[in-house]
Amino acid sequence: MESPGEDFSPDTLAFMELALEQAKLALDSLEVPVGCVIVEDGKVIASGRNRTTETRNASRHAEMEAVDVLLKDWQKNGLSKLEVAKKFSKCHLYVTCEPCIMCAAALSILGVKEVYYGCTNDKFGGCGSILPLHLGCSEPLKSDGIPQGKGFKCIRGIMASEAVSLLRTFYEQGNPNAPKPHRPLTHQATH
Amino acid sequence: MNKHTDAWQILHVPDKPPIPPGQQPTVNVLASVIEPKIANTLVRRLNQIAPLENLRHVKRVQKKYLEGGKTQLAVILCLACENDNQLDSMQHDVREIVNAYRLSAFITKVSKSAASSKEEWEEQCKLWPTSYHPPTYNIDGITGFSEEDSQLVFSFMRFAVELAKSDDGLMVNAAVIVDPSVKQVIASARDEICSWNTCNNKSSIQTSSSQQLEVCITRSISNVVTDDSLLSKASTNELGRFTGVSCLYPWRWAEQQLSSPNSCYWHPLRHAALVAIESSAARDRLLFHGSREIEDKSFDMEHKSPSTGSPAKRQKLNMKNVEDHAKLDTLAEGNSSVSARPYLCTGYDIYLVWEPCTMCAMALVHQRIRRIFYAFTNPNAGALGSVHRLQGEKSLNHHYAVFRVLLPEEVMV
Ligand SMILES: [Zn+2]
Ligand SMILES: [Zn+2]
Repeated sequence: MESPGEDFSPDTLAFMELALEQAKLALDSLEVPVGCVIVEDGKVIASGRNRTTETRNASRHAEMEAVDVLLKDWQKNGLSKLEVAKKFSKCHLYVTCEPCIMCAAALSILGVKEVYYGCTNDKFGGCGSILPLHLGCSEPLKSDGIPQGKGFKCIRGIMASEAVSLLRTFYEQGNPNAPKPHRPLTHQATH
Repeated sequence: MNKHTDAWQILHVPDKPPIPPGQQPTVNVLASVIEPKIANTLVRRLNQIAPLENLRHVKRVQKKYLEGGKTQLAVILCLACENDNQLDSMQHDVREIVNAYRLSAFITKVSKSAASSKEEWEEQCKLWPTSYHPPTYNIDGITGFSEEDSQLVFSFMRFAVELAKSDDGLMVNAAVIVDPSVKQVIASARDEICSWNTCNNKSSIQTSSSQQLEVCITRSISNVVTDDSLLSKASTNELGRFTGVSCLYPWRWAEQQLSSPNSCYWHPLRHAALVAIESSAARDRLLFHGSREIEDKSFDMEHKSPSTGSPAKRQKLNMKNVEDHAKLDTLAEGNSSVSARPYLCTGYDIYLVWEPCTMCAMALVHQRIRRIFYAFTNPNAGALGSVHRLQGEKSLNHHYAVFRVLLPEEVMV
């Protein structure tokens, strides 16, 4: 994994901006602000944001949302499974927070090429923080020819502070619908 | 309930990989046989001057039953020196006790770390008695199942296995989410990696689960009796039957044939567990749409945590979560129209035919499942003991208990 630095290309930063836009949309909808875009050949082909609150489905992370969009689009256009697999293998994902173990496993299953993320996720992170799923399996083929976990390249630390500040805003604004007496801690947290 | 019960068995899959018998790490201690009447005084004194700091699981006193109904007590005096096998490594005040009571010290082995399963514990006690504390979280079943609970587990697993079977003899993974408090199926699903029927009415709610269960079991019995073709297929190509199991071959989706070319969509990630979670979420939305979204926010607090936040801050967030949980409870109680709104899948169990892959296992962490029961291990991608062991990942904010259910072979036919 490349170490964080400030020397990201303008394209990389621009795509992360778009992912942050998605995260802001999530925040506006009272969702944990995490967003992503998927890029193929330098073009954004899908975007997604966290929808766990709205759906009451805690697996509806930004990455899963964006992947669903792609699968629908590609199949509408009549792409075969192999063509879809080939497309995924050219995709770059830009996501504001390190993919969790579930999403990292999903990205490995789909076989995406590269993942660019902002802040790390030290509770659930599947790209090095808790499990290094981005490394894939040491032996990609088992002796019986069964394909094993594919890895993907990971670049971290892109606009991490922006990603964190969105999350912080979310935590600090507390729950706007909650009755006031129940929220003493949210005031402390602003200091 | 059924005549094959004896072959069914439930095994706890612990948080740490089990240590093979005889390979548990040990440390040497100095011990001595003592007179029962001085035991109390001696133990109290030894606990003061030579506490067993890193061996809290080890009992200070061993009680041995000798021939002729007699018992013998032995006590651990202190740790023995690593390199030095001699007794003169004994610290001064322990030596004083040894001299005062005319004890004859000997070196013996005790287990170095606390047992993580009942089996390990039994093994440890052969050396020297230890105490066994099942995992700190209090989840039913870790210390064993009652006959009634076992029968319930077996029937839900049977339901899952039946669900996993296809007419052509091939199998997929299947998932059944159950609310054990009312013995009700909340959601059930098969893999949908080959046919994702988006036109499905996802919000169909299952309420009469016990009836369904019975229907299913009856169907399975008649299948076994009548369907000979199914039988023969299974015996000729056992392994081939399982190539369509999503969690077993998650990376193989591109090679898999479409089961029906005109099905709406396919989706490589629609493993049974994820589909079942989706369906239980749909049920939640439908049954409890009146209770406001506010409640959902608190669980998302923990969903992702920024790493650059200071530890102090993180702690505050956690405290806030606790507070929100408490609030949630009061809200649920105060709202008479919604008596027991589920907090995602808190308190629910899931039955899976195969050990879930990493993606599915983590989704079940997110959705706060309480217990996972699976029938077959998944050496390719299993995340509950085979390749990874998410139930033992300490950093995660939720931990479920994992059980393997052994089935008699004929259930799979
Ligand atoms: Zn995720
Ligand atoms: Zn799976």
